[in-house]
Amino acid sequence: MPVIQVQNLVKQYKNGAQALNGLNLTVESGEIFSLLGPNGAGKSTLINILTTYLRPTSGNAAILGKDLYREAAYIRSGIACAAQRTSIDTHLSLTENMMFQSRLYRIPTTEAKQRMKNLIDCFGLTRYLKYPVSSYSGGITRRLDIALNMMSNPKILFLDEPTTGMDIQSRMAMWNMLKKIRNKFGITVFLTTHYLEEADRLSDTICIMKEGREAIQGTPNALRSYLRQDMVKISFETKEAAKAAFEQLRGFHPLQSSDLRDNAIVTNSENRRKDLIKINRCLLEHDICFTGIEAMQPSLDDVFISLTEDTGKEGRV
Amino acid sequence: MSVVNILWRNIKWRFNNAFTIMITIVQPMLWLVLYSSVAGQSMQGMGIENYTAFILPGLIVLVSFSACSSGGIMNYLMKTGGSFYRVLIAPVHRSSIVLGQMLEAVLCTFLEVAIMCIVSLFFSVSIASGIAGFMLIILIVFMTAFFISGLTYTISLCLPNEVIYETVMNAIVLPIFFLSTALFPAENLSGGLAVAVHINPFTHVINALRSLFFDATIMIENILPVILLLMVMCCGSFALALWKLKREMRD
Repeated sequence: MPVIQVQNLVKQYKNGAQALNGLNLTVESGEIFSLLGPNGAGKSTLINILTTYLRPTSGNAAILGKDLYREAAYIRSGIACAAQRTSIDTHLSLTENMMFQSRLYRIPTTEAKQRMKNLIDCFGLTRYLKYPVSSYSGGITRRLDIALNMMSNPKILFLDEPTTGMDIQSRMAMWNMLKKIRNKFGITVFLTTHYLEEADRLSDTICIMKEGREAIQGTPNALRSYLRQDMVKISFETKEAAKAAFEQLRGFHPLQSSDLRDNAIVTNSENRRKDLIKINRCLLEHDICFTGIEAMQPSLDDVFISLTEDTGKEGRV
Repeated sequence: MSVVNILWRNIKWRFNNAFTIMITIVQPMLWLVLYSSVAGQSMQGMGIENYTAFILPGLIVLVSFSACSSGGIMNYLMKTGGSFYRVLIAPVHRSSIVLGQMLEAVLCTFLEVAIMCIVSLFFSVSIASGIAGFMLIILIVFMTAFFISGLTYTISLCLPNEVIYETVMNAIVLPIFFLSTALFPAENLSGGLAVAVHINPFTHVINALRSLFFDATIMIENILPVILLLMVMCCGSFALALWKLKREMRD
């Protein structure tokens, strides 16, 4: 059953900036839905609209089966959002923050206390209870932010780039936490990120946004060719050297679908191990001077380039 | 209930940032203690026996502006901290959000006014109109602070950052203070200056408070119009703050 349905959503700010440009998407109940896109793709604007903070310029959106604009009050009681900027009041203690949140949602005190205890245990916050909130690290603050947003037991939890700026350990702890939110609490998670790996590991559905609208939407498996495409990168001393080598190697089998990017040649690979050997041999045989060769995973930019190359690929997979 | 919750959160902020109380009361206190002592002697020639009591109503208005301005600063801090957004997407009436914040500024004003009144006791200031006058003073101070807090709330949502906000607030407060009867009686004024002082609503608020401090008999025909004026101003300021908050969400 869809819990979020967005049709042809447009948002143009007063200064003329067009953040959303006819976006369509559907989020099913109980899934982790990841919205991928670079900075400025319109992800935060979309979250601001779906959480009833901003009004769209045009288009339709329904959350929990209710119209977003006409029944905002109903929708607010069923959603919560941990925004990009953590929203902890540093002048309140951990428990005061959580109780304040529960009173905003009119949760009875005894129920709120029980829920708070569960969430503190569940998210490993017990040992931080005695410290002031202002002394918490970024990762712990983010964990508390999500825990306090769960106080209202929302049906949908929006998370705007929850792992940005985190080290890998904190990021992995966050991933486990998000899986727990879906599996243990049965909450639909709507997540924005610009990390392909994060979306790939966590999500049931991924939507890639480009210039204010969806470029493609599907399961991680369906988007495999974009997200897990192997690539080989050959680096050169200068841009000119890369260009010269690019011309010289054009037509060579493993480099047939290659691209010139600054001082490197990047190519898709079906078998990176074999292709690495082949390309290496070819470079040495042609006496081409290069500074490095490596197998790599695509970045978000690579996915966008791939999508842009074939606009026919856009849509639902 | 939501009003009380938001008010509680804001009071906690105020006591965690107690310096905001100190900063906002320093200037009115200097006027009360130093200026009234120095200028008091000159004013005796004009028939003002207790100049501290004379300027106290004006300083009450000044301290209301200072305390309520710092309430507007809270909007910037909460926007930076993110809790502004979290409260707005919660199922809370927008009016409760505005009211909770305005009432905190009103309470802060009362605290500062109480401190100033206690200090002024040492300068032989008393309320000649008795308990009834005291109650009316509380009502007028409440309405004045409520009006100003609505205004500062709106202005804080209109301006991009706290530096510009502070500058604008200073540019508003000082002309209002000097173009009123806060420091001098208006009887000898003439021309455009007299008009400016008379159309300043705070002139009438100050005059009403002053009459309650000085006169044993409460002249209800002088007090009632001021209360009615403040009621209209309070409704207008609250409506403006609410409208601005809703606009903030729409754009």
